[in-house]
Amino acid sequence: MRSLQVWLLPASITLFTILVAFPLSRYMAWIMDGRYRAPRLLRWIEARLDSGAQDWKQYAVSLLVFNTLLFVYGYAVLALQPWMPLNPQHKGMLAPSTIFNSVASFMTNTNLQHYSGEVHLSNFSQVFFVILNQFVSASVGLCALTAIIRAFRGASRVGNYFVDMWRAVAYLFLPAALLLGVLFVSQGAPMTFASSYQVGTLEPNAMGTADNGQAKAQTLVVGPVAAEVPIMMLGTNGGGFYGMNEAHPYANPTAVSNFFVTFAMMVFPFALVLMYGRMLGRRRHSWVIFLVMLLLFVGTIGWAVWFDTLRGNPGLTAHQERALKIASAGRAGAATAVRLPATGGLPVDQHLGNLEGKELRFGTSAGATFGAVTVDVTCGAINCEQDSLNPLAGLSPMVGMWLNCIFGGKGVGMINLLLFLVIGVFLAGQMVGRTPEYLGRKIGAREMKLAVVALLVHPLLILGPSGLFAATAWGQKAEGNPGAHGFSEIVYQFSSASANNGSAFDGLGVTYGFNDNPNPSPEAVPWDLATGLVMLFSRYLPILAPMALAASLGLKKAAPSGLGTLRDDTFTFGCLLFGTIVIVGALLFMPVAALGPLAEHLGPIPFGG
Amino acid sequence: MAGNIAKSLWLLFLSVVVCCLVYPLILWVIGQTGFPFEANGSLVNGPDGKPVGSLLIAEPFTRDEYFWPRPSAASYDASASASSTLAASNYLLRNRIAQALGPIVRYAGGPKAGQPVAPDIEAWFQRDRYHGAPHIVAQWADLHNELAQAWVGADPSHAAYVAGWVKAHPELAAKWAQDNPGSAAPAPADLSVVFFADFSSRYPGRFPSGVAKQLPSGKTETIIEPVATGVDIQATFFDMWRNDHPQVDLAGVPADMVTTSGSGLDPHITLDNAEYQLDRVAKKWAADTRRDPGQVRKEIQQLVTRSAFAPMGGLFGEKIVNVLQLNLELSRRYGRPPA
Repeated sequence: MRSLQVWLLPASITLFTILVAFPLSRYMAWIMDGRYRAPRLLRWIEARLDSGAQDWKQYAVSLLVFNTLLFVYGYAVLALQPWMPLNPQHKGMLAPSTIFNSVASFMTNTNLQHYSGEVHLSNFSQVFFVILNQFVSASVGLCALTAIIRAFRGASRVGNYFVDMWRAVAYLFLPAALLLGVLFVSQGAPMTFASSYQVGTLEPNAMGTADNGQAKAQTLVVGPVAAEVPIMMLGTNGGGFYGMNEAHPYANPTAVSNFFVTFAMMVFPFALVLMYGRMLGRRRHSWVIFLVMLLLFVGTIGWAVWFDTLRGNPGLTAHQERALKIASAGRAGAATAVRLPATGGLPVDQHLGNLEGKELRFGTSAGATFGAVTVDVTCGAINCEQDSLNPLAGLSPMVGMWLNCIFGGKGVGMINLLLFLVIGVFLAGQMVGRTPEYLGRKIGAREMKLAVVALLVHPLLILGPSGLFAATAWGQKAEGNPGAHGFSEIVYQFSSASANNGSAFDGLGVTYGFNDNPNPSPEAVPWDLATGLVMLFSRYLPILAPMALAASLGLKKAAPSGLGTLRDDTFTFGCLLFGTIVIVGALLFMPVAALGPLAEHLGPIPFGG
Repeated sequence: MAGNIAKSLWLLFLSVVVCCLVYPLILWVIGQTGFPFEANGSLVNGPDGKPVGSLLIAEPFTRDEYFWPRPSAASYDASASASSTLAASNYLLRNRIAQALGPIVRYAGGPKAGQPVAPDIEAWFQRDRYHGAPHIVAQWADLHNELAQAWVGADPSHAAYVAGWVKAHPELAAKWAQDNPGSAAPAPADLSVVFFADFSSRYPGRFPSGVAKQLPSGKTETIIEPVATGVDIQATFFDMWRNDHPQVDLAGVPADMVTTSGSGLDPHITLDNAEYQLDRVAKKWAADTRRDPGQVRKEIQQLVTRSAFAPMGGLFGEKIVNVLQLNLELSRRYGRPPA
C-alpha cells in the first residue's frame, strides 16, 4: 500500500503531464508559427510591436535590448519600493547588492532569492516586479528556441522578437495562468491586496506575551498569492511569494494544489520538445529526444524518492563502529587513523521517510519528487527543504542542474540539449570517419566551436566560483552545515545560479536584507554579486551561441539522406544522445559530487556539533 | 537601435498592463466573489466569534488539553516562514531530536514495556559513567564543544554562572591562557569546555540547571544549581544514554512529532501522531471536566478519527489531521480549559 502511494504520485503527475503536453505542443506550434487569426484589438497590438522580419543577429540584438530595459525597470521598481503603493508595513529598500542579484535573478528566469518574499517585498513589488518578470523571462527562452527552429528550417529571417514575445506572454502563459490561478484560489491560496492580518490564538498566550502583558498575536502574511503561483510554476521561474516557497501552506495549500503546481512546471518544458518536432516537421526525431529526457527525468525522481522517501534520515538511525584512514594531503603514503564510535538509533518511527523539512499534506513522496522535478525543468521552486534531504537524495537535484537539459527551462533546456546533440553527432562522426551532420547539414568547425563554448560556460561558471568561495571566507563562513554538506551548499548555490534554476540549500548565509539592516550576513555582498554575474553570463551566452550555430547550420544546403546518414529518429540515436549527456556530464561534475554529497553519505554521520 | 528601444518600451508597457493589472484583477474578482473564504486566508473564528487563526497555518499549542502541532523552525511566525536547514549529517539535527525525545520516550519491550525511560536516564546520569569512563558531563562537553558553548550562550544566567565559577576557580582561566597563548581574555563561552570538565569533577552526576526558588519577598526566581534530576538531564543526555544502551527496545515516536516542516507552518500532524498524543489530551480534559476518563477518551478518539483525511483520498499518502480544526472542536465540546 505504502509503496503504491509512494510511486503513484510521481507516476500519475508525469503521465498526466505527457497527456496534456500533446495538445499543448500543437497549440504552441500554431501560435508561434502565427497561423491564428487574431481579433482586431490584438492585431492592433501586434502591429505596435512588429518591427519586421529579423535575421538572427537583429533578433538577438532586440532580445538583449529588451532585457537591458527589463533590468533597468526591475531595479527601479525594487529600489523605489518604500515609495510605492500597497506597502502598509512600510517595507524599506533592499541592499543594493541584493537588488542587483534579484533583478538579474528574475530577468534570467532563475529566481534565486537572496531575500525572503513575505519579509522583504511589498505586494506592489510582488506584482510589478516578480509577476512581470515571471511572465516575460519565461517567454525570452521560448522565443530563442523558436528562432533557432526557424533557422534550422533554413529561413534567413527568424521572425520578429517583439511579436514572438507578445505571443508567448499573452497567448500561451496568460490563459494557462488564469486557469490555474482559479484552481489555486479554490484550494486556499490567498488572492487579496491586503498584506497581513493579526489574529489571536486559540490558546491565549501561546505565541508568548508582549511587554505590555497582552497575549501576542499571530501575523499572517497574505497577498495576491494565487496570481503569482501559476506563472511562477508555468514559467519555470520558481521565485515564491513566501520565503519557503511552495512548502508554505498559503502558496500550496493541498495535495491537489501540489499535484497541479508540479504539473504546471513540467508541462511547458515537455510540450516544447514536442513543439520542436512539430515545427521542424520531424516528430519522430523529437520523440527520440523526448524519451531520452524522460528516461533521465524518471531516473532523477526515482533516485530522490528511493534515497529520501524509502529511507529514514540517517542522522537518527544506528551506525556501527567504524575505523577510517584519512590520507594526508601533504605527505604521500601518510594517513591518520580515525575511530568512529557506534551510534545508537533514536526511537523515531521513520516509515514515511525523511520528514525533516517536509510538509505532510502533499503525500508521502511529494517532497522528493518535487525536489527532483524542480531542477530537471529548472524551475527552482521547492516544496520541502532541499538542504535537509538525505545526502544521496541531495545528489539528484544537483545532477539535474549540472546536466541542465532534462527537459530544462523554457526553451533553454531544449537549446542545451541541442548542444549535447551536436557534440554527440560529432563524436559519432569521428567514430565512423564521416563528416557529422544534423538535419542533413554538415557540422563544420564553426558550429563545433560555438557548441563547445556554449556547453563549457555552464561547468566553468559552477566550478570556478565554487572553488573560489570554498577556498575563502566568503564560502566557509557562509556555510550553514559542517563538513562535506557545507561544501555541497556552495556548489549547489552556483549550480543553481548557472543553471538558472533558483532553488537552494537554504542554510547558506547569503541574505543581507534591507539596506539598513544592522546585522546582515557578513558574506552576503560577495554572494549577491558573484551569483548575480553567474546568472547573467550563463543565461545569455548559452542563448546567443546556439542561435549563431543554428543560423550558420540553417544556411547550409541540406543533403538528402543516404545509406551512410546517421538517422536521428532511431533507438541507436537515442542511445548515442543519452550516452553523450551522461558521459560528458559525469566527466565534468564527478569530482564535486564526490567531495559533496558522496563524501557526506560515506563519511561520519552524525558529524560536527 | 532607436527602433529597438521604442519597441521594447511598447512590449514592456503592454506586458505590465496585461500581467500586472488585467491578470491579477481578474483573479482577484473571481477569488473575492467565488471563493471569499479561501481568497482571504482561510481564517476561522474561535468560540467567542473572533478569528483565532488560519486553517492553513500552524499555530502553537502548549497546554496538555490540546493536540500539539509539529515543532516549528519559524517559531510559528507566519510572517517569516523558515525551515531548520539542518543537513541529515549535521549533529545538531540529531541533538535537537534527541532532546525532544528524552522526556517522552517509553520502553517497547522487556520487563518495563510501556514505562517511560526518563527515570533510568537520570539514574544512569547519577552513576556518572559513559562508555566505561567517569564524568558524563565532562565527556559531553568534550565531544560536543558547540553544544557546550551554546549552553553558555543560551541564557544570561548561564553565562553569569560560568563567570562566577571561573572567578571562584581562577586556575581555570590561567590554564586556558596557557593553552591559548596570545589570545585575549576569554569570554564565558570560550571557557565552556574547561568549565564543564571542572564542574563534572566537583559535582559528579550533576548538571547546572535552572531551579525555581521562592525569595523571602514572595517572588520566585530561577537560580542555576547543580541538579541530579529533571527535564534538562533527560533531554540533554538522552543521546549519550542511548549510545550506552543501543540494544534496548524503545517505542518509536511518530517522526512528524520531532521533525520540523519545510515552512515551519505545517498545519497538520499524522494520525499516528494524534493518537500518540490522545492519552495526554483525554486525561487532561477528563480532569478538567471531572468526567470519566474512559468515556472522554472514546469521544476524542472518535473526533480524531472523524477529522482525519489522507492526501488525494489516500492515493498519495497516509492519514493526517488538521491541528487547529481538531482543537477548535475540542474547545467547542469541552469549553475553555481552566486558567
